Order: sequence, then structure tokens, then C-alpha cells
Amino acid sequence: MSDYLNDNPNVVEENDLPSRKVSEDDQLLMGSVGSQTCLKKKRLLLKIDNSGQSSVQQAVELLDKMLLLNSAPELTSDEESVEETDGESLEQTNEEWEPVDAQEIYDLTAHISDPEHPLSLGQLSIVNLEDIEVHDDGDYNKMAEVIIRITPTITHCSLATLIGLGIRVRLERALPPRYRFTILLKKGSHTSENQVNKQLNDKERVAAACENEQLLGVVSKMLSTCK
Amino acid sequence: MADGANGAVGSLVVAFIANDTVNDAKAQEVAEQLAEMVGAEAKLLDIVLGLKGSITSEDSGTRRKALNCLSSVLACLDSDKLPRNEIEVMCQFYNSKLDDELLALETLSGFRSLCRMVCVTGQQVSALMKWLTDEYVPSRYLAAVRFVPFQILDGIYHNKFKDGQIVNGKLTEQFVQAYINVASGEKDPRNLLLSFQLNERISTSLPAANSHRQELFDILFSYFPITFRPPKNDPYKIANVDLKLALRSALSAAPMFAQDAFGNLVDKLSASSPTVKQDTLLTLKRCIENFGGQACADDWLPIWKALKFEVMHSVDDNDDSLALAKVTPPNAQKEDESTINNYQTALDVIRTLSRVLQQFNDKVFDTFFTHALEDLKPNFDLGKSLKQSCAIFSAIGSSNKATFDKTIESVLPLFLVNTTEVPKLKLLLMNLSFFLGSYIQVFGETQADQHAVEVPDNKLASYKDEILMILGMALTGNSKIEVTVRTLSVIQFTKLIKMKGYLTDEEIALIVQYLTETILTDNNKNIYFACLEGLKVISEFYEQLVYSVSLKQMLDLLPNSFNGLPEFHNGEYITIETILKIILDFTTSRHILVKESIVALCSKLLDVVVRDAARSSDYCFLLLSTLLSLYDNNIVLMTPETLVSIKKLVEPVLFQILEMKDDKSVIGDDYNFPLFSTLFYFINLKGVDDTQLQRYTDVLIKEYKILEKYPCRYIMPYVKILSALDKTCVFEQSGEVFHRTVELLRADGNIPQVEKVGYLEFLMVLTNKWLSDDEIEREMDLELHSDINLKILTWVGKGLVMRSSKLGPKILKQFIELLSDKQSGALVSKLFEVFVIDINTMKRYKGCGTANNVKALYKQKFFSDIFKTLVALYRSNADMDIKCNCLTALSMVLKHTPSQLIEPFMNDLLPMLLQALEMPNSEVRVSSLETLSDVTEKFHQLITEHTSTLIPLLLKLVVPGTHNNAAVRLMSLKLLEVIAAVVPLNYCLEFKEQVIVGLLKPLSDKKRIIRKQSIDTRQVYFELGQVPFE
Repeated sequence: MSDYLNDNPNVVEENDLPSRKVSEDDQLLMGSVGSQTCLKKKRLLLKIDNSGQSSVQQAVELLDKMLLLNSAPELTSDEESVEETDGESLEQTNEEWEPVDAQEIYDLTAHISDPEHPLSLGQLSIVNLEDIEVHDDGDYNKMAEVIIRITPTITHCSLATLIGLGIRVRLERALPPRYRFTILLKKGSHTSENQVNKQLNDKERVAAACENEQLLGVVSKMLSTCK
Repeated sequence: MADGANGAVGSLVVAFIANDTVNDAKAQEVAEQLAEMVGAEAKLLDIVLGLKGSITSEDSGTRRKALNCLSSVLACLDSDKLPRNEIEVMCQFYNSKLDDELLALETLSGFRSLCRMVCVTGQQVSALMKWLTDEYVPSRYLAAVRFVPFQILDGIYHNKFKDGQIVNGKLTEQFVQAYINVASGEKDPRNLLLSFQLNERISTSLPAANSHRQELFDILFSYFPITFRPPKNDPYKIANVDLKLALRSALSAAPMFAQDAFGNLVDKLSASSPTVKQDTLLTLKRCIENFGGQACADDWLPIWKALKFEVMHSVDDNDDSLALAKVTPPNAQKEDESTINNYQTALDVIRTLSRVLQQFNDKVFDTFFTHALEDLKPNFDLGKSLKQSCAIFSAIGSSNKATFDKTIESVLPLFLVNTTEVPKLKLLLMNLSFFLGSYIQVFGETQADQHAVEVPDNKLASYKDEILMILGMALTGNSKIEVTVRTLSVIQFTKLIKMKGYLTDEEIALIVQYLTETILTDNNKNIYFACLEGLKVISEFYEQLVYSVSLKQMLDLLPNSFNGLPEFHNGEYITIETILKIILDFTTSRHILVKESIVALCSKLLDVVVRDAARSSDYCFLLLSTLLSLYDNNIVLMTPETLVSIKKLVEPVLFQILEMKDDKSVIGDDYNFPLFSTLFYFINLKGVDDTQLQRYTDVLIKEYKILEKYPCRYIMPYVKILSALDKTCVFEQSGEVFHRTVELLRADGNIPQVEKVGYLEFLMVLTNKWLSDDEIEREMDLELHSDINLKILTWVGKGLVMRSSKLGPKILKQFIELLSDKQSGALVSKLFEVFVIDINTMKRYKGCGTANNVKALYKQKFFSDIFKTLVALYRSNADMDIKCNCLTALSMVLKHTPSQLIEPFMNDLLPMLLQALEMPNSEVRVSSLETLSDVTEKFHQLITEHTSTLIPLLLKLVVPGTHNNAAVRLMSLKLLEVIAAVVPLNYCLEFKEQVIVGLLKPLSDKKRIIRKQSIDTRQVYFELGQVPFE
């Protein structure tokens, strides 16, 4: 609503950035323990009271606890408890797998600030949800790939390399090593597209850049707004 | 006799001189003694005689002390003590000392005391004044000395000029001249404060001031805008704001300053510092208020220009808040002085100016208004700076009825034109908001008890239909995507309601209908909250209306089965959850609404149970939850009468449901039935007499046979009723009932869970409220270690612990011993949770009497009772199982104990918490992590010592495993992040690499939220020790 935004009609409001359309219910339910019925009831409750702290919620939790507590105690043999301590393998848990998708990559990168504006890459539409590709079949032993195409604000943007570096550093820190990322300029969005692309995906040059304390400082500043 | 007095005077004088500058308190005491003697047994002259030698001494120190003695005595004298002739002598004496610059402070102090004497003559004052004007050079003296002349002037003013008793013109003339000389060039804050006050008095009450107008003004304005930062140990405790206010008050004191003040202040408005601007604006406002209409009529043009410039070119801090945030009462923001909002202040000044002008003369105001209109009208045509222009006009309009009418008449037609273009509509709504605000400022806000008040005819009334139409169209005629326009419309509707006497009841009903439709059909959060706020505001004033138009409609929408969504209108569907949520949200603390909702929802519950369709269990759960929340949110405010009247309507319905024994959705549902039972608790919480206990006992024990051979879940409603009743009720059968319950529990090994919990809780309530320690001891068997007996003991123990009975610790001791028992240890460790678990129906609601015996600090007592023994047991045992039991018991207790109660035990506790992290039980781990998080936030030092143990432990917990459930992983990651923030860098840094590598695995966690947290935590460690970027 400020005049500034009206002067730059291309800027997207922070709240209007594409985001995952799930309720926060699951987050509120994180960390709670209990039976499946209890969880189901709580989910229902959240629909009428979003605080997650209502007295009914407490009552249901309490009840669940009482019912569990009064049932026969679970018997764990000694051997079992010794063997268990280093449960390493990831597959053993029966939790539901939430895949890494384009939205997740977008959330990681869209809040990086632009080096010269007080705005984020998402707001300036430098990073766009539809320009992110993720190829991952969820297998921990296979490689996965992420491709991001960025759109600089102007075709001769001199900071395109810096923006690309920021995105790369962010992803390298945030994704497991089995991921490979390619950061490209969107076709026709920059005058020296090929040069920049080459520079951004050259491992040696990225590594060298990250050894430059001052440059890393600038990148840190860009990353400081990440959510 | 005289000799004796002389002797006493002499020795006191010597005592004073000895103590002066050495022990000032003592010296002061002596001076008071001397002052008491003066007029009684001694004369002032005696003191002078006593000082004779020292007062003419060559040594300046001695001279000073002697004179100080005299002045101090004078200061202690009452103002009517000294006769005329003595004053004359004293004046002459002090006059002779005026040349002695080293004695200035003492001499002037002497004069200060003399000037407040009743009998001092004009001549004497005049002589002193002449000296102050001609001979006194302030710059030669220190601040402390310079203070005295101000006090002298102050004294003279009070003594001679106060209450209009002006003696002669010459004297006041001299007084003003003396002041001008004394005050020129002053810098000390304490002196300035007094100087400003004097100036104000002079300019307001002495006619002589007029001829010195310019000088007096210059003395003041040379300090404007004053800034002063008090030194650290300022003895006078003068704050910047004191000076600021004194100066402001002096500057705005008299209309004779008007010309100079307005001109200079307008110049100062161009300052760039916001603080200076703020000060200038506030001073300007004060001046406008004080100088009166004539002065403003002469000078309004430059002031208007400056203010307009200020409003047009300064940015309003709370840009969005004005338009979109909740409608706050108009005065709320202004009160807070700490935040500078020059935009708002400038508008305020405009408002004051227009009020003063209008009150002075209609013609002048008209000229002013026409000028303003000419100035700003082009903005409306060009659509430029509309917001500021409207803000200015609404400020002018909010002065009084006359200015309001004038403004509305001339300005509203400039922009109030309905449009379908969304951006234009948005602007229109935002601009309109200003003028609705003006209305509230002029005519007041709607009050709950007097909404039918007549408000004088005003120009806005004729625009009512148009405004309602525009708002209505903005809300209903736009697509749902236009959130801003629709939210604005809802906000303006709410504002209309707040405008006293503006709307008729039919119009309000129309608005309620609009808001109800919107809140039911719109999913957007902003709109939801705007409508909610609107409905709340309306129910504050028109509760009955809201009930009949809005709530009733929503309640009627609820279907009798969960299948299919209730249709609202035009084919729009609403979920049941939405309706219930809205009911819960907007009925809060409104008696009629709460009552009607409870009654209607209860009968709805009956309908649903009777129908018994698919998924009715879920539907009943929602209804029950809503009912309980309604009670829980409002019970404190509900009167006993309301509660009883609800009970009358609701109880028969509840019993009707109880009658349907085969029902699956409430009676047969393990979760719904306890909630349903809790309803019995709430209906009996207030205003219930003693006969109820017997009545319920008859019904439940005799008719429903809850204590016969077979366990019956109807024990639950009975327990809840007993919890609600006051503990003073007589319950004769309590002993017998207790016995029968214990028998019942012991007899049947396979009681279903819900029933078992019901009976156990029943024992707890009985123990807590009615049974004596002896009775209980007779019934209990501490040696029997069967599962059921242990549980009985636990619950009875809980009842005892809560009322801090002596029997409680006995049971606890037994339980701690049982922790090392191979067979029952594991169960017992878990049972510890029961002791401290909070049961809702045992909590105390404010204003509901003392239903239960719950001591305020029982948890603290409980914790300190068991903690030492637990730790000892833990340390003395090598057996891992027993250690594990101890930790489990401890963490179960910790989960329900507020962290401040744990603090005193921290040093012993922390090592145990760390070991609990390795226990093969995720609940134990969660509980330990919870406590550790608290500790980390509060005890940086303590946690720093354990960093090297804690971090590797946490890194083991962040990877998935049987006992590392999502909660454990998430909390460990969060804790790692907190550690990096609170533990000193040099401790953390050595773990940097380890953590970064250790968090690689969680980056591929299955849960997204955990991946997110690992990324955040990892980022924090990446940046540890990095050079800051700015």
C-alpha cells in the first residue's frame, strides 16, 4: 500500500508469495504424543479453535493419557532396550515421507534479500516457483537434482552472479549432499547469459568465491532474511 | 538571665562554625536551635554579637562560616517572626556585605530569607532590586550562587505581588528589570526551571511586563527547543521533559507573545530533527489554545501553510494501521508520548486551530476554511495526496459540530462518488474513514446502555443512505479476491456502528446481516477477523439484535447429521466446523449470546444422538467441545443466576441423552462420554444448593446403580458433579461409597478403561473432599502390590497430596521404595505422573467458591518432598532398570511442574536430565528436552558448563530412531539452535564443525518441518564466529 510499491508495480507483496497451502494444524500437533484417535480428535478441534491450547484440548489429551496409563504396561525386555540405542537406519520409522518439492526449494530461496534492494528475491520475481525443477525419487542412495532458473530484474544486471552465488550457498547448506543443483539464467533474460551460467556452475570458481571473507560476508547478509 | 541566654547563643554559634562544611546536618540542627531561641530568650542581634569577631575576620573562610551561620538561622525563622526594625538592621548589614564577592552565596541567602518576611518594606526590596539590576553580574558566579537571586525574586513575587495585590507600579517595573538581568544568559537546568516559572508569572500577572515583552520573550525563545541530558547522579532529578514543559508553558503563557511566538515557531517547523519538530508542534498547539481567537485570527495564514506542508511531506508512521488495522478508539494513539508521530500531531494542531478560530468568530473560520479548501481542492481533482488532504479536513471537521458540518458539506461531495473501479473504491473507503472518525470525535462513541441517544442534526446524516449503499456494494458486489476492499468495507461498517446515534436499529440489523453472511462464506483470514471484530463491537451495544439476526441464523444452520454440508444461500456451502468456530469466537463474554448458544447446542446434541447417523460421533465431539469451550471461556463472568437458568434448560436434555444407553456416539464413545460428563460439572459450578448432592446421589446410585456388581460408566457424570459441588456440602454416605468403590475395583480385574478411570477419579474426589485421614488409612492396604491396588493408592494419594494431608508423604515414601521393585517398578514410575497431572474439573475458577481442596503450592511441596529421595535412590543404585525408573518418574513429574519451582534444585537435576536423554523412552526424552530448553534460556552459566556433554547427546537425538520420534528430533534441533545463541562463542566454536556435519542427516528427514529446523540450526552454526557483515 505504500507509495513505493505503487512506483514499482512488479514487486510482489511479501504475503502474496506462493506458499504451501497447508494449514498450520500439523505444526501445532507436532510434539504431541498419544494415540491415533486422540490425534484425530485434536485435528477436529483445531478446526473450531485454532489456539491449540483450549481447555477441551487439554481435556482430550488428559483423557488419552489416562486411558493409556491404565492399560497394561508395555513390556520391554532388557535386550531390546540395549540394542535399540543407535537406531540409525532411516527406513525403519514408519512416518510418512514428505517429498522435497519445488515449493520447498522456493521457500528456501525466495526470502534471500536482493543485494541492492531491501526486497527479497521472491518479491522481485527473480526466483519463481514455476522455474524450479526437482528430480528426486526419494531414494537415499541415488542422486537428486534441482534446477533453478533465475530472472534478473534487468538484462544487464551486474549482480546476477552474486545472486546466483547466494542461492547456491543457501542450497548447499540446506540440502543433503546427494543433491546436485544447476542455477541458470532464464533464457533471454540477460545479455551475457552464457558467461554467467558458466561462472555459476563452475565448482572451482564457487569454492574460490566462498573463501573470500568479504564476499561471504555479503552472502551472509543476503541470507540473513531467510525464513 | 540574659547572660545565660547569651552564653547559650555563644556556644551554639561556636558549635555551628565548628560543624559547618564538616557536618552539615549537625550544623543545620544547631541553626534550628538558634532560630528557636530568637524571639524567645535571645535576639537576632545576640547572634550577630556572638559572631562579631569572626564576621570581620581577615580569613575569608572564617568570615564565610560566620555569615553562613547568620543566614542559616534566618532561613529557619518563620516569616512573621522578625519585626520591622530588625529587618531594617539586617538589610543594612547584608547590604554592607554585598561587595564581598567571596561571601555572595551567604549574603544572597540572607536576602532570600529577608525577602519572604512579612514586614519587609517596599523600599528595602526596591534597593535590593536595584542592586540586582545594576550591580549583579550573573556570569561572575557559580550556578549554585546564581540560583539564589531566582529564589529571591520568587520570594518577592509571592510576598508582594501574588493575588493581584500590586503595591506600586515602580516596584513591579524594577522587579521585571531585575528578572531580566538575573535570567539573561542562564544555563543551569535548575535555575532555568525557576526562571521559566518566574517568566510565566511575570508575563501573566504583572502589567509592567508589557513594556518588556520583547526581552522576556527573547529570554525564553533563546532556549527553544530545549534539550538536556541529566548527568548520571543528578541531585536535583530534573528531566528533559520538565524543562521542556516549563518552557512550553512559559512561551504560551500570555497573548502578548503571540506575534513573536507564532513567527518563530513556524520558522522552527522547518527543522529536520523529528524531536524538535514534535516539540515545536506541541508548543504551537499550546500557544494556539492559550493566546485566544484574536491572536490566531491575525496569524493563521503562515501557521496553516507550515502545518499543511508538514502533513503533506511527512510520512505517517502507521500508514496501514489507519486503513486496515482494527478500529481503535481515536484517543488511544495520542496518549503515548514516547512515540513521536509528527504527522498525527500536526493534524492535531490543525484541529485545535480550527476550533479556536471557529469559537472566536464564524467569519474568520469561514475565511480560513475557504482558503484551505482552495488550497487542497486540486488534490481531489488530480487524485494526488488524497490521504493527507482528507486527514487534514477530517482534523478540521473533528473540532466541533460547526466545523464538522462545514467540512462534510464542502468536502464529502468532492470524493464520495460510487465507482466500480477497485483502486478508486479502495481510496474512497480509506478517505471516508477519516470523516467517520471525525464524527466520533465530535459526537462521541456509542455506549452500551444508551444507544438510542439523539444526536443533533448534522450534515453527515443526509449522506447515510449513500454511504450504506457504497459500503454494501463494496462488500457484496466484488469478487472474493478483492480482500482489501471488502475488509475496508467491513471496517467502515464497524465504525458506523460506533458512531453515536447515527444509525437506526433497522440499519444496524442490516449491517449485522451483511457481516454474518460475509463471515460465514469467506475464508480469508483478514476478512474473518474484521467481521469478527465488527460482530463483537455490535454485540457490545446491541446484543439482543445480534442474537436474533445473526446467532439464531447460525444455530439454525447446523444440520442434524454430519453428512452433507449445510447450505447457506445461493448454493454456498459452509462447514459445520466453521459455524461452530464463529459461534465460539464471537459470543465471548456476552451473556445472552453464550446462554442461547449453550441451550441451542445442547438440544442439537440430542437431535444428533437421536438420529444416530454415520459419523455422528465426530459431530457430537465437535458439539461437546464447543459447549465446553463456551463454558470454560465464560464461566468466570457468568452470574450464578444465569448459570442456574441455563441449568434448568440444559439438565433435562442431558438426562434424556443419558437415558439412551445403547447410543454409540456419546454414551458409548470413550472420548465423547467424559466430555459429556464434564458438562454436568459446569452446570453445577455456581448457584447450587446443598440439596443437589442428595438428589444426584439418589438418581445415580439408586436408579442407575453405578456402585452395584457391574462397573458402569455413569460414574463419570457423578464424579464431575461431586467435583463441582462445594466441599462444605455434607455427604453422609461418603465412607460407605468409598468402601464399595474400592471393593468394586478390586473384585473385577477387567474393568474397561473409561470406567476404571471414572472410579479412580471418584476415589480421588472423595479423598480430597470428604474423607478423613483415619478413614482412608483404614481402607488402604499399602502392602498389596497388585496393579489395581497400586492405582487405587496413586489416585487416593493424589487427593491427599492436593490437600497437603499428612498421609500423603507416607504413600509417596512407599511409592519411591517400589521404584526399585523389579516387578512393579516400571508401572510405579509411570504412575508418578498422576500425582501432579492437572485435572480440569479440579481447578479453581475465579468467583466459583472453593469447590475442592487444592492447595496453591502443593506441587512445590510435592516436588521438594520427593526430589531428594529420588536423587538418593538414583545415586545409590547401580542397576540400570532402577535408574531408569527413577528418571522416568522424575521426568513424568517434571512435565507437569512449572519451571520456576524446579529452579532451586537445578544443580542436582541437570546431570539427571542429561542422562534421561539416553533413556529408551521418547516421552522421557521429550520431557527432559523440555526442561533442558527452559534451563538453557534461563541459566546460561550452568548450561555452558555442560555444553561438551550436551551437544554430542543432542546430535544423537536428531536422527530418526525408535525412541527419537518427530518431537524429540525437532526439540533437539531447536535446543541446538538456542545453545548457539546463549553459550559464549569460545565454548561453542569448537563444536561448529561437529554440529554442521552432524546435521547432514536430518537434512533428509522425512518430515518437512524437521528439515526446516535443521536448515535453520545449521545456518546458525555456519555463521558462528564469522566476521559480521556490517
